Amino acid sequence: MTQSWLNKKTAIGVMLAGAMLAATACGSGGAGDAPAAADKGGSKASSSGPTKVVFWHAMGGSNTKVVDQLVSDFNASQDKIKVEAVFQGTYDDLLSKLKATMGTKEGPSLVQMYEIGTRFMIDSKTTTPMQNFIDQDKYDLSQLEPNITGYYTINGKLNSMPFNTSNPILYYNKDLFKAAGLDPEKPPKTFEELQKAADAITKTGKATGANFAIYGWFMEQFFANQGAEYVNNGNGRTSPATESLVNSEAGVKTLTWWKNMVDTKAANNLGRKTDDSKKAFSAGQVGMILESTASLKGLVDNAQGKFEVGTGFLPKPEGAKEGGVVVGGASLWIMNNRPTDEQKAAWEFIKFLTSPKEQAYWHINTGYFPITKKAYDEQSVKDNLKKFPQFQTAIDQLHQTKLNTATQGAVMGVFPEARQIVEGAIEEALNNKKSPKDALDGAAKEITNKIQQYNKTVKQ
Amino acid sequence: MMLRRLNYTVLYIVLALLALMVLYPIIFTVFSAFMTEKEVSVFPPPLFPHHLYWGNFAKAVQTIPILRFLLNSLIVSAAIMACQAVTSAMAAYAFSFLQFKLKNAMFLLYLSTMMIPWEVTVIPNYLTIKSLGWMDSYQGLIVPFMAGAFGVFLLRQFFLQLPHELFDAAKIDGCGHLRTFFSIVLPLARPALSTLCVYVFLNHWNSYLWPLLITNKPTMRTVQIGVAMLQHEEVMAWNLILAGVSLVLLPSFLLLALGVKQLIQGITAGAVKG
Amino acid sequence: MSAQTQAASRKAQWKEGALGYLFLAPSLLVFICFLFYPMLRSIYLSMTLTDPRGRVADFVGLDNFKDLFSSGQFFTNLKVTLLFVLLTVPTTIIWSLVLAALTHNKLRGMKAFQFVFSLPIVISVGTGSIIWSLLFHPTAGMLNYFIGFIGISPISWLADPNWALVSVSLMTVWMNMGFVYIVLLSGLQGVPDDLYESAKIDGSGPVRTFLQIVLPLLSPTLFFVLIVSVIGAFQAFGQIHILTKGGPMDTTNVVVYSIYQDAFINFRFGIGSAQALVLFAIILALTVFQFKVLEKKVHYQ
Repeated sequence: MTQSWLNKKTAIGVMLAGAMLAATACGSGGAGDAPAAADKGGSKASSSGPTKVVFWHAMGGSNTKVVDQLVSDFNASQDKIKVEAVFQGTYDDLLSKLKATMGTKEGPSLVQMYEIGTRFMIDSKTTTPMQNFIDQDKYDLSQLEPNITGYYTINGKLNSMPFNTSNPILYYNKDLFKAAGLDPEKPPKTFEELQKAADAITKTGKATGANFAIYGWFMEQFFANQGAEYVNNGNGRTSPATESLVNSEAGVKTLTWWKNMVDTKAANNLGRKTDDSKKAFSAGQVGMILESTASLKGLVDNAQGKFEVGTGFLPKPEGAKEGGVVVGGASLWIMNNRPTDEQKAAWEFIKFLTSPKEQAYWHINTGYFPITKKAYDEQSVKDNLKKFPQFQTAIDQLHQTKLNTATQGAVMGVFPEARQIVEGAIEEALNNKKSPKDALDGAAKEITNKIQQYNKTVKQ
Repeated sequence: MMLRRLNYTVLYIVLALLALMVLYPIIFTVFSAFMTEKEVSVFPPPLFPHHLYWGNFAKAVQTIPILRFLLNSLIVSAAIMACQAVTSAMAAYAFSFLQFKLKNAMFLLYLSTMMIPWEVTVIPNYLTIKSLGWMDSYQGLIVPFMAGAFGVFLLRQFFLQLPHELFDAAKIDGCGHLRTFFSIVLPLARPALSTLCVYVFLNHWNSYLWPLLITNKPTMRTVQIGVAMLQHEEVMAWNLILAGVSLVLLPSFLLLALGVKQLIQGITAGAVKG
Repeated sequence: MSAQTQAASRKAQWKEGALGYLFLAPSLLVFICFLFYPMLRSIYLSMTLTDPRGRVADFVGLDNFKDLFSSGQFFTNLKVTLLFVLLTVPTTIIWSLVLAALTHNKLRGMKAFQFVFSLPIVISVGTGSIIWSLLFHPTAGMLNYFIGFIGISPISWLADPNWALVSVSLMTVWMNMGFVYIVLLSGLQGVPDDLYESAKIDGSGPVRTFLQIVLPLLSPTLFFVLIVSVIGAFQAFGQIHILTKGGPMDTTNVVVYSIYQDAFINFRFGIGSAQALVLFAIILALTVFQFKVLEKKVHYQ
C-alpha cells in the first residue's frame, strides 16, 4: 500500500540516479556468501554447563509431543547435553529454512531431513557423515533394519541416521466392502482388483470407491513396487543421475490406471493434501485410501464406533516385476559448521534415539517403524501389535521388500522439486489437460532439465 | 408512504443477508473455537456450539506459544512504528522548513521509493540480513523498515498546513530549528503522527512474507507466521486451530474498536485531495 | 550589505543545509541500504546462476531473461496474475461500492451495518487464509454444505483447476473489502447533502442520481482505491502460500509466488530476481498508464 502515493511528477530518472549514488555508498557484502566455515568461537556452552544441541524437525501435530517427550527423556537421563527440539513446519519448509542458514552461524546442530533431500544434503557439503561417528564409536550397525539403512547408504557410507520411516499402505473401510458385496478380509492386491473393488463401492451410492491424494511419494512407491527405477544411473546410486525416467512404462501404466478410476468415478480427486484424503476416509466418504503407515493409529482411532479399518499392501499392476516399497520418511543429519563437541553431543542423542526402548516408544506413539530390530522384542511393541493388528501389514511389507536399486529409492539433488513436478503432471492427467503419457513426458523433460542445471552448479 | 416503508423493509432484509454473508467466516471461527473436538468432527458440524467450551483456548496456548507470538509482533510493530514516526518527522521537517541544496531532487528521490515494490528488494535484503547475522533477531525484523516515504509525505503535507505565524514568532523568540522542531512542530503534529503510527503499526502487524523468511526459531516468530503454523496441527482439530485464530484476532478487534476507521478516513482525506 | 553580514548569512545558510541533511540522514540511510542498494543488487543477481545453496556460481548475462521469455511457464504465471487482478479488483470495488451506497443514509441501525461491512479490515492474510482453508475443505467444508442446500454438488474448491483461482479470489475479495468499503463510505460522506436534495427536486431517481451525480464526485476516491488495489493484487502472496501453494496445475501460480518458489525454496536467486524485475516493469507501466489515462477522467474538486 505504501507504493500507492505516486506523484505524477515522480521521475524514474531521478530514482535511478539516486540508486547509483546509493550503491557507491553501500557497496559492501557482495552477492552470495562466504562458504560455510566451522564456527570456531560459536559454542559458548562448552566451558560451563551442558552442551546445547539444537534439533530441527518437521514432526507436526501429535508427533511434536512425542519428539518433545523423547528429548526431555534424554535431557533427564544425563546432565552433560541439553537438546532443544524446534518444529519447523513441513519437510519442504524445513529444507528451505535449513538452506537459509547454511553459511551463517545460525542453524541447528542436528536436523531431520526427508529422504528425498539426501542428495542435496551430501552435495551441500555442510554435514558430517554419520559413518565417521559410527567408525569412531565402533557402533554396531547390524542392530538396525537393513531395509531401512539401505536407503541412506550411498557409496557404502551411511550419511545420516534413519529416524522416522514408513511405507504407504492401502487402508480400506471394511463396512463399505461388505456393503458392496466384497470380502472384507481380502484387500485388493493388484491395480485391476482395486479398480473393481472401488467401482463396486461407488456403485453402492454410499461412498466413493477410492481416493489417492496427489502426492509424488505415491508415484515413487508405485515405481519401486514394479521394480522400476525413477532416474537413470542405477536410480542415481551408481553415479549422480542425469535423467528422469518418470515417463517410462511403469509411470504411464500407473497414471493411466489412476486416471481411469477418476474418469469412471471409481475414485475421486481431492487434491494434493493427504490430510483431506484422510479426513474423507475417516468420515466414511471414501472406501480406500493410500496413506503412510504412520497414520495408522490416527485413522483407526478416528474410525472407532463408525467402521472397521483394514489394511493391505500397496497394489501393483498384474504381472509386474518383483519389487517392494521404498523406505520413506526421514533421517537425522549432523551439521559440520558446529563445534566438534556439539557434533559429538548430537551423536550421543542419536544413539539414545536408536536404542530399542526409545524406538519402541517412538513406534507405538507415532506409527513409524522401529529402526532397531530389537525393538520388536519389547513387550510394549507386542501389546501394541495386538491392539492394532493392522500394523502387521506394514511390517510384512517392509520385510518382504527385496533390496535393489529400485527399492532402495532414487537419489537426485532436485528431488523435492521433481516431486512437485510429478504432482503437477498427475494433476494435468486427472483434469484431462493432457494424456497420462504426455503429462509424464513433460514432467520427465522438466526434471531432466533441472537435474542438469543442478549438476552444473554443484561440483562433485 | 406505504411504498416507502416497503422499500425500507426490503433494504433491511437485503442488508441483513449481505451482513450475514460477510460475517459468516468470523462467526464460524468464533463458534467453532467454542466447540469440542467431537462436535467439529461430525459432518455437517453444528452451527452453534452446544455450550461454551473454553478448553480449546487453554489447549491452543499450550500447543503453540501464541502469547509469545503476540508479544513478538507487538515488539516489532511498535518498534517500527516508533522509528518511522521519528525518521519521518525529521525528514518531513527538513523538507518543509529547511533550505538545503538539492532539496527538490531529494524529495523526488524519497517519493520514488514508494514505487519500488518488495518483490525487487526482498531477495537482496534477505541476503544482506543473512550476511549481517541478523536472521532470527528483532533487528532483522525491524531495521529494514525503520523509515518509510509514505510517512515523510504525509507529515510534510501536514507541516506545510501549519500556520506560518507560529514559526515567525518562534524565530523572533530566538528559537533554533531543533527547539522549534521539538517544542512547536511535534506537539502540533500529534493528529498526523498518530494517524501515521496506527497505519504503520497495522501494516507491520499483518506482514507475512518477511517474518516468514527470516525467522526460524519459534521464539522469534510473529503472530501471522505462528497462526499459519497452526495448519500443521492435527487434521481433525479444527476447534483448536480456530481457537488459536480467535486469540490472534482479538487484538485486531480491539484496534478496530479504537478507531481504525477514523484513521483510514484521515489518510484518504489527505490522499485524494493531493 | 557588508561583507561581514554576508559571510555570516552564508555561514547560517551552510549550517541550515547541514542541519537539513542531518534531519534526512536516518531515513536516507535506511533507504540506501534497504531500497536502493538492493534494487541494484537485484539487477546484478538477475544476471547470475546460483548453486543450490544460493551462492553465485556463474555470471550468465541476460540468459535468465531469455529463459524466462522462452519458457511458457512465465507467461502462464503472468496470465494467472492478470486474471487474479481482474477477478479481485473490480469485484472488490463494485461490491464495496454497492454496500457503501446501500448503507450511506441516516436510517436507524445503519451504524451496525457499517461496522459489520468494515469488519474484515482486521483480518490479516494469515488468519483469513486459515479460516477459508477450512471453509473450502472439499469434504467437510461449510461452503459445500451450504451450496448443497441449493442443489449444487460439492466443489473441490482449491483442488479443482477450474475453481482454485476463483476460490482464492473469493477469499481475497472478502479480506480486502473492509478497507475499500471504509474508504468509499468516507468518500460518499464527503458528497454534500444538498446535491441529493436538488437532484430530487429535478425528479431524478435514486439510481440515476447515484450514477450521474454522485459517482463523478466520488471519482478521486475510486481512483485512489483502484491504484491501491491493483498494486496490492499484484503483490498478493500469503493467501496463495497458505491455500494452494500455486497449484493445482499452476492455476494459482502468480508471479510473486513463483518468485518465492524459485528464490526461497530452490534458492535460484538469479531467475527469481529476473522475474521480480520484469514484474516491477509491468506494475510501473500499469501505474503510469492509470495515471496518464484514467486520471483524466477523475474530477478533482
